[in-house]
Amino acid sequence: MACQGLQKGETLESLKRESETLKKKLEEERNKLNDVELHQVAEKVEVLSALSIKTRRVLKGHGNKVLCMDWCKDKRRMVSSSQDGKVIVWDAFTLNKEHGVPLPCTWVLACAYAPLSGLDNKCSVIPLSLDKNENLAAKKKSVAMHTNYVSGCSFTNSDMQLLTSSGDGTCALWDVESGQLLQSFHGHTADVLSLDLAPSETGNTFVSGGCDMKANVWDMRSGQNIQSFESHESDINCVKYYPSGDAFASASDDATCRFYDLRADREVAVYQKDSIIFGASTCDFSLSGRLLFAGYNDYTINVWDVLKGTRATILFGHENRVSRVRVSPDGTALGSASWDSTLRVSWSFSTGSNYIFRFIKLLFWVNSRLVLEFTVAF
Amino acid sequence: MSGKMCSSSSSVIQAQKLVDQLRVEASMERFKISLTAADLVQYCQEHRRSDPLLTGIAASSNPFKDKKTCVIL
Repeated sequence: MACQGLQKGETLESLKRESETLKKKLEEERNKLNDVELHQVAEKVEVLSALSIKTRRVLKGHGNKVLCMDWCKDKRRMVSSSQDGKVIVWDAFTLNKEHGVPLPCTWVLACAYAPLSGLDNKCSVIPLSLDKNENLAAKKKSVAMHTNYVSGCSFTNSDMQLLTSSGDGTCALWDVESGQLLQSFHGHTADVLSLDLAPSETGNTFVSGGCDMKANVWDMRSGQNIQSFESHESDINCVKYYPSGDAFASASDDATCRFYDLRADREVAVYQKDSIIFGASTCDFSLSGRLLFAGYNDYTINVWDVLKGTRATILFGHENRVSRVRVSPDGTALGSASWDSTLRVSWSFSTGSNYIFRFIKLLFWVNSRLVLEFTVAF
Repeated sequence: MSGKMCSSSSSVIQAQKLVDQLRVEASMERFKISLTAADLVQYCQEHRRSDPLLTGIAASSNPFKDKKTCVIL
C-alpha cells in the first residue's frame, strides 16, 4: 500500500498556502463587486402599503407537533406530517381531512406532496388515491437510504427523481422507480438540514444548508459544488430560492434570515431585529419575491420586505414553534405548521373588501336589537 | 514511519480537494451588485400585480370562504 497522495512538489504546506491564497482572492473578487447595497438600489421602489395578511383558518387534527407541511399542485390540498406518526392530507377549502396515513416512524421530518422522509434514514414515496378503502401504508415504497436521518426531500421537475438531504452530511439524487442512487453531493462538514431546487427555467442546480453554517449551490448532473456561502453564525435550518432563480434566502438559528445574490456571489441582505432573538426555522417567498415569510422558535411568523430589508408585518397565533411556512402554488395563501399541533392558513384581502367587512360589523353593532341575520361571506 | 506518511497523505488528499474546490469557485464569473440587484428589483416590480399576498384577494373571488346560509326571522 503506497502513500500515493503525494505528488511531486505538492506538500501539505504548499497546498495549505495555496488554499489560503485562493480564499483571499475569492474575498477580494467578491468585495470588488460590492459597489452598492440592495436596499439602496431599492430606494426608488415604493414602500409596501399596510399588509392585511391575517390567519383565517386553523386546522386541528394532529395529536402532536406538526413538523412539516406542503401544498398540493391543485392549490387546495395540503399535506402535513406530525410527531404523532401520521401524515394527513387536508382540503384547505373545507378543512376536511381527506387521508390519514399512519407511519411506522414518528419523526417524519419532511413531506413534499408525495415523498416522505424522516429519522429512520429512509425516504418513502406513498401514492395517494381517492379510494378510501385502499391500504395506502402498504403501498409505501422506500426510495432513498442514507446513513443518517433524512432531513429534506424534493421531487425533481420530472417527478422521476428524488433529491434528499441528510444528517450524514450529504445530499443525494435517486431514481424513484428503481431506488438507485444517481448522484451524491459531498462538501458539507455537518448535517444538511434543508435543500431547494432552482426554478425550472434556471437550470439544473439546487441549494442546500446545514449545521456547518454553510449554504452550498450544486450542479445536479456533475455533483460539483459550484458556490458556497458562509456568513451565518449558526445552523442553517432552511434555504429557499427567489422566484427568478438568481438568488436565495436562508433561515438560521442565529435569529437572522439572509439573502444571497447568486450572480454577484455574495450575501446582499440580512433580515434581523434586536428584538428577534430566537432562531428562524423556515422561510418562503411570496410569488413576486417581494415578501419573505419566516417562521421562528418564538412562535411568530415575521414577514420581511425583501428589497428594503425591513419587517413588513408579523403574524401571531401559533402557540409553539413554527416548524414550516409555505406559500400556496398560486400565491394566494400562506400555510404554516407548528409544534402546537395545528396548521394555519393566512391570506390578505384587498382594501375594498376590508372596508365592506368593517361596514358590516358596524351594522351588526348598530342594529344589535334587530332580528335579522345577514349573510357574511368571509 | 510509513504509518505517519499514510495519515499525512490523507490530509494531503483533503487539502488537494479543498484547493480544487476553491479553484472552481475562483474561476466563476461574477457581476456587480448594482447590476444584479437591479434585476432582482425589476423581477419584483414586474410581478407585484400578480402576487395575491401583496395585493390581497377580493372577498367574492376567495376560494377559502365559508358558505353560510342567510336566516331571516
